[in-house]
Amino acid sequence: MFLIKKNDVLKLAQELEKSYSVYGPVVEKESGQTFLAKVDNVTDIDLNAPIPSLPPKNILFPQIEKIIGYKYDQSSKNAEIKMLVVPEAKALFGIRSCDLAGVQCLDRFFMGQEFVDDVYLEHRKKTFIVANTCTAPFAQCFCACTDSGPSAKEGYDLNLTDLGDVYLVEAGSDKGKELCEKMGLEKSDNSHLDAKVKVVDKSLDLFEEKAVENKAWISRVMNRITTGFIKPEIWEYIGDQCFECGACSFVCPSCSCFNIEDFNKQNGTTERMREWDSCSYEGYTRMAGDHNPRKPIEDRRNKRFFCKLSYSQSQKYLRPGCVGCGRCAWVCPGDIGLPNVVTYVRREITEREINE
Amino acid sequence: MSEYKVITVPEVAVIKEIKKEIEDTSTFYLEFANPEVEKNFKIKSGQFIMCTIFGAGEFAVSLPPSPENDRFHISVRNAGKVTGALHRLQVGDKVGIRGPFGNGFPFEEIKGKNVIYVAGGIGLIPLRSSIVHVLQHRNDFGRIILLYGSRSPKDLMFQYNIEEWQKIDGFETFITIDNPAPGWTGEVGFVNTLIEKAQVPVDNTVAFVCGPPIMFNSVIKDLVNRGMREENIISTLERHMKCGIGKCQHCAIGRTLVCTDGPVYTYKQIKTLGEQI
Amino acid sequence: MNYKPGICNFCGTGCGHLLNVDNGEINGVFASRNHPVSKGRLCVRGWHIHELVRSDDRITAPKIRKNGKLESVSYDEAISYAVEKMKGIKKPSEELGFFASPRSSNEENYLLMKLARSVFKTNNISIESESGQRNSLDVLYKGTGMAGMLGSLDEISKAEFIFVVGTDITKQNPIVGSEIHMAARNGATVVTLCSRKSQIAKLSDMHLQCNAGSKKIVLAAMAKSLIENKLYDADFVQKNTEGFEGFANSLGSLSDSSVESLTGLSLDDINSVVKKLSQAKTAMAFFSSGISGLDADTISYIYNLFVVAGKIGKEGCGVNPIAGIANLQGSYDMGAAPDLLTGFQSVKDQDAVKKFNKAWGSDVPAENGKDVYELLAAKKLKGLVVVDHDEIIVRQGDALKALDFVIYFGAFNNPFTEYADVVIPIGTYVESDGTFTNTDRRVQLSVKKVEPIDGIQPGWKVYTMVADKAGAKWNYNAPAAVMAEIASVTPTYAGISYDKFKGIGGIQWPCNDKYPQGCKRLALDDVKGKVKFVPVTANFKGPEKNDEYPFLLMTGKAQHFWHQNNLMRRTFIPMREYNATLLLYPNGYIEISPADAKNIQVRDRWPVKVVSPHGSMKVTVKITDDVKSETAYVPYFIQNMVSEFLMEHKELLEQGEDAIIPVRIEKV
Repeated sequence: MFLIKKNDVLKLAQELEKSYSVYGPVVEKESGQTFLAKVDNVTDIDLNAPIPSLPPKNILFPQIEKIIGYKYDQSSKNAEIKMLVVPEAKALFGIRSCDLAGVQCLDRFFMGQEFVDDVYLEHRKKTFIVANTCTAPFAQCFCACTDSGPSAKEGYDLNLTDLGDVYLVEAGSDKGKELCEKMGLEKSDNSHLDAKVKVVDKSLDLFEEKAVENKAWISRVMNRITTGFIKPEIWEYIGDQCFECGACSFVCPSCSCFNIEDFNKQNGTTERMREWDSCSYEGYTRMAGDHNPRKPIEDRRNKRFFCKLSYSQSQKYLRPGCVGCGRCAWVCPGDIGLPNVVTYVRREITEREINE
Repeated sequence: MSEYKVITVPEVAVIKEIKKEIEDTSTFYLEFANPEVEKNFKIKSGQFIMCTIFGAGEFAVSLPPSPENDRFHISVRNAGKVTGALHRLQVGDKVGIRGPFGNGFPFEEIKGKNVIYVAGGIGLIPLRSSIVHVLQHRNDFGRIILLYGSRSPKDLMFQYNIEEWQKIDGFETFITIDNPAPGWTGEVGFVNTLIEKAQVPVDNTVAFVCGPPIMFNSVIKDLVNRGMREENIISTLERHMKCGIGKCQHCAIGRTLVCTDGPVYTYKQIKTLGEQI
Repeated sequence: MNYKPGICNFCGTGCGHLLNVDNGEINGVFASRNHPVSKGRLCVRGWHIHELVRSDDRITAPKIRKNGKLESVSYDEAISYAVEKMKGIKKPSEELGFFASPRSSNEENYLLMKLARSVFKTNNISIESESGQRNSLDVLYKGTGMAGMLGSLDEISKAEFIFVVGTDITKQNPIVGSEIHMAARNGATVVTLCSRKSQIAKLSDMHLQCNAGSKKIVLAAMAKSLIENKLYDADFVQKNTEGFEGFANSLGSLSDSSVESLTGLSLDDINSVVKKLSQAKTAMAFFSSGISGLDADTISYIYNLFVVAGKIGKEGCGVNPIAGIANLQGSYDMGAAPDLLTGFQSVKDQDAVKKFNKAWGSDVPAENGKDVYELLAAKKLKGLVVVDHDEIIVRQGDALKALDFVIYFGAFNNPFTEYADVVIPIGTYVESDGTFTNTDRRVQLSVKKVEPIDGIQPGWKVYTMVADKAGAKWNYNAPAAVMAEIASVTPTYAGISYDKFKGIGGIQWPCNDKYPQGCKRLALDDVKGKVKFVPVTANFKGPEKNDEYPFLLMTGKAQHFWHQNNLMRRTFIPMREYNATLLLYPNGYIEISPADAKNIQVRDRWPVKVVSPHGSMKVTVKITDDVKSETAYVPYFIQNMVSEFLMEHKELLEQGEDAIIPVRIEKV
């Protein structure tokens, strides 16, 4: 393990810049929002900025992306097809532990199942990840309930923890270690690891005071969601509040549904686009020939929360699908961000227990 | 993975022959442009492919040919934008193919058993592969019975195939149409009425069922009432699919993905999926 | 930083977003969390606006029709040709029309308006038949002098009582609907007056599910109850208003018994809502002003009800029409109307006209112009200038073909170009700076995000080129200069300039010396004289059904059946959602109640024949609890759906959302 002076921490990004396009938390000035943006200048990176508006999903699995291109000449019958995905080597600098947990969900889902998604693989294989421990939670956070923070336990190349005047730099991979050694970083000792434990404990203690927007004790509802033992009225109550905008899926670090469309260009070529999709849309499951197995909105909501909070889905991610970032509550035009859904379900469980 | 799969970039295939089957459904015989692919492309009965019609898009389609000694083809109903574009193509035109994907029918487990096929309309398309395969291995199975129903005589698929199959020893065929039609002397009524007529056995028997949801549900009910066990009723499900490899999630039913866990399920499995079929 | 702040360009809510711009390509969108209206939310359309702006289906070169075919030419040639055509018109007041787009920026609409009036000498400029918006602005202007929403969307959270009249608001302007829902979650009382069980009705504390076509009667009954039970704000009325007696008198002929029979609501229910309205310190009313908006009389009743309740001119209060299209409010602000100059100044207002004559160095034509439909009906029209439209073709295709020439300006390929003799491309809204005024009078700057595609000029520049070619010397170097001129001739925009657009959220007009940072809501001391009650009719006839036509058919929009389908067609997911409904119900649908379905003996998705005194159509049944027994609902205006039948009832449809057609429904 290594140390780097607080004022020097961006030198890590500078070093990474030599081999990677660096993405880091940057505050967009006019809107005041943080984005994990491709940095023009590493000094724009703000490691203390609030969690970015969008998770790193956007970088590894873009909102919209050309995956293949083809041209078919009707007269000569000549067909040319080529892959259009040419991702660059990317360093994700200073991502929060919840977002890293989201990346791990995506990794396991896209690369760890029967098939490897080669588009995602293209993005992912040249990635360097620098995580950043949260020394205090933000208002919407509940990573403590989803076992995804405040400090990352795995999945990073480097993990930073602010210890006051220095950052502890934990290497989680060979290439992480090599980078530290190449930069000649000072070695840390046990006292620094102890200090980190204190920082993490303090961060957890601060949840009561600071993470005031969300309380999502998800463990209690996972069993109910998995077994489906929830009153239909609860799903109706949730479904009535769904505006079918798709936002919860888009901002979720682990949601990975996509749509594919062939888009014909005026020059006679076609681009096959893949873009984020959402199970809240009516057209999502609709099949040719008029049959839609998942038509009522409450069915579609039910599906999303099953994905986030069931054991069976957890088996694909090797953790709950929800990583506790709280973004879905930010963007929901109804009032059915995941923490609220958990509350509604828990309320029902409690009522049932009182009645029984 | 030892099997050869085309995941993202389709392989180009040429339409070698087009055969009109019924009103809105035709069979397209295909051959890969690249001889290497043509050689290595192996399918399992019950699998599906993703077929790109250039300039229109991609659709999932089941594979009617048997894995052995059968020409590679797909049979497609003109049902929308992309399949409509396919129907406008001619011999010599090219399409893109990804796959094959999906689990396929469980032939090893059903050896020695009676095999019943119950199909409604174009539901015979995904079952054709299995029928041909089972008939190619006639001696591995007991009774082989096809119960087939459609709206009218002109909606019956693969009639020339059925005539061929009937020549094979012990292949029993029962065909019905929904309403009487001029010149039709066969059975009239829904396909589930054939179950009784054919004296379908239930012990040591598997049934493959495929057709529209209403037909599917009533056939299942009759088979189960007759005493057939739910794990011996096999079907292949259709869903809106985009990727074919378990990633886009369009085909998710409860905890299962039709493209990778299916499309072949037993009725026992289907019942536990927790969603409408 | 690859995320650039901007404004959503679909509906009139004016939500803030950030576009992900990489290498000149727009690769995504994210909601603006600090935007005062949208606060981090977008709807299904907003979340996919990148699909639209990256569309390749653009008009890539100016074109002139030669021997029946459009051929690419230079801008100079196309503009010369267009100017020659327009200059050739002898009587522009009858023979030349301009059809502006409620989607163009303020700067573009201002310049088009200036082009029509000062260069080509006609007041014939109008936008789509958004009669609901014009009706709303007229009522509010007559009553208060303010031709725009009286309240502010960012004060919805401060309203204790929210009254939604008609409008499927969570579908049409979802983020406004969301804001109302959030207010309800925080304790506000939400009441929806609507014959259909819309989503907002389900989310309301109380749903007044009145008989189809009886909203006006409910509103009148509410006002009457307020007055008779002395629950109205007498102080407010006495101090701030005039015309109360007249309004109170017009309610006299409404009897309690007729209220119950005509509306299907109990007086108790109406009285309890009235009590809540009266007890609330603050209250807002919302209604759609779009293509299926309300008629002027119903709007007047809403307005008068809120005046008598004393719920205007205060924080958290207001009568709030909701515009369906991005710059619908701005288009009226910019004088894209035959009788209006900018800021609702009348063409007949001599002082205003003098000001314009001086600023433009050219005289504004003296007489009011005509809108495009009037022009087509008068059959003297020879030439039409159109910006970014396709809807009119549905109804007026043959009349358009008969014109001498059509000049089309637009960014995307459009069916309208088939009618055009000259096609002149302009940039999209992300390719130049421009301001857009949303439904709560919020003027917001949308800055240029990407370079225009090869050789394409932005709209403001193209109109300047047209003016130059016609001999006028316009010297604008940028949209900011256009806004400076708008500010100089428009009292409500007087204080607006591009250097004031810092940060997120824009400026709500009136913006002037008194309100340099804009003004959230109507200020009572700005009203000239007193607030006026607006005259209403005392016609309380309900729609009539009879044994022959026992159903009352309502019309409206569904979320994805959204106007300007020419835009939706360039998206993937919003279009898929549109097609989803169309595939389930390929011939459109008619909603009927389960009880009626049983009577007619039909099941969901079975075909029925709908017969009115004027015609019939075949359509598929959608069975739902959302409509009451003996009423039915069809989503309307889609060319490929049921519009032919509805067009037979054009006059009825002009009553907007309350247009009710008595029909019978037969099993096929």
